Amino acid sequence: MKKLAFLFALMATPLAAEDFSANSTAKSWNLYAEIPATFEAKVVDILCTVAGDCANECGVGRQLGLERTADNALIFPNKNSQSGFQGAAVDLHPYCGKMVDVDGLIIEDEDIAGATNIYLVQKIKEAGADEWAKANTWSKNWAKLHPEAKGKGPWFRRDPRVKAIIAETGHLGQGLTPEEAYEITR
Amino acid sequence: MSIRTAIAGAGVALCAALPAAAAEGERVTVTGEIIDTWCYFSGVMGGPDAVTGSAHHTCALWCSAGGIPVGLLAEDGTVYMVLKIEGDDQSASGDTQLSLASHEIVADGMLYKRDGLNYLVVEKVVEDKGITKLNHEDYGVVPGFAIPKPKG
Repeated sequence: MKKLAFLFALMATPLAAEDFSANSTAKSWNLYAEIPATFEAKVVDILCTVAGDCANECGVGRQLGLERTADNALIFPNKNSQSGFQGAAVDLHPYCGKMVDVDGLIIEDEDIAGATNIYLVQKIKEAGADEWAKANTWSKNWAKLHPEAKGKGPWFRRDPRVKAIIAETGHLGQGLTPEEAYEITR
Repeated sequence: MSIRTAIAGAGVALCAALPAAAAEGERVTVTGEIIDTWCYFSGVMGGPDAVTGSAHHTCALWCSAGGIPVGLLAEDGTVYMVLKIEGDDQSASGDTQLSLASHEIVADGMLYKRDGLNYLVVEKVVEDKGITKLNHEDYGVVPGFAIPKPKG
């Protein structure tokens, strides 16, 4: 009976609160509510997982999530490790449907409604693999998709779609010229 | 521990380890602003009020084009993570969501909840009111480098 109880206790272990920061080597972004977190998870298509919309499961351009092994929580990676407004879906896409290990920063801010289980992924590898890959592939992918936008400066000032919208309605969306918008915001 | 208790405990543990099935949705109509969720949740550029509206419009465009998830910030402060808009499932860098950055919209769709987050499948944008929160008058532009200094 004692052996049976011990076995069941082991099986129940994932239910206990787990410290995902213990083995993390994630770099701080000095965010108010960041917590280092490394864990094993399955990369899932969020639209398929939460809404059952699976016709284009793991398709390019869909947001991907991390279904954490320890507690089955669905973690939403909002950000990759790059500093210039890039999300995480491109970095996660090669792993969709697979088990992975990730390391990064989780955001848990009780002062902002909904700021829970939000993640910045810094590195990723297939579960159990030796080598980590940095989650920083977005910009190279963008450059391949937009050879016409090659040039100096960060991608976000060269992106054709963004440039077209700003050209039409301005930086503040109010139809102002760049000079006018700059002047009234100083 | 009785055998019955032990078996019940094991059952709970096994259930926790199984993938969750897609939840049943709830039809909702939400009025709110299409925001970039990373800036809003992380505080990387300041408080929530500063990373919405006209002040943050350029950054909202950058983030949406960059594949950061967009959310619908409702009037009561609830954030709905937008997964699909009128049949467009491109929720990472998609054209439809980009065209709505910072806009106040009335959305009709299906709401799903999991692990503290609200997920919204927008079936119809009932109304697009454009950018209605003109907070650049209070915050300037966020971040400050969003509008380049004019040459000359």
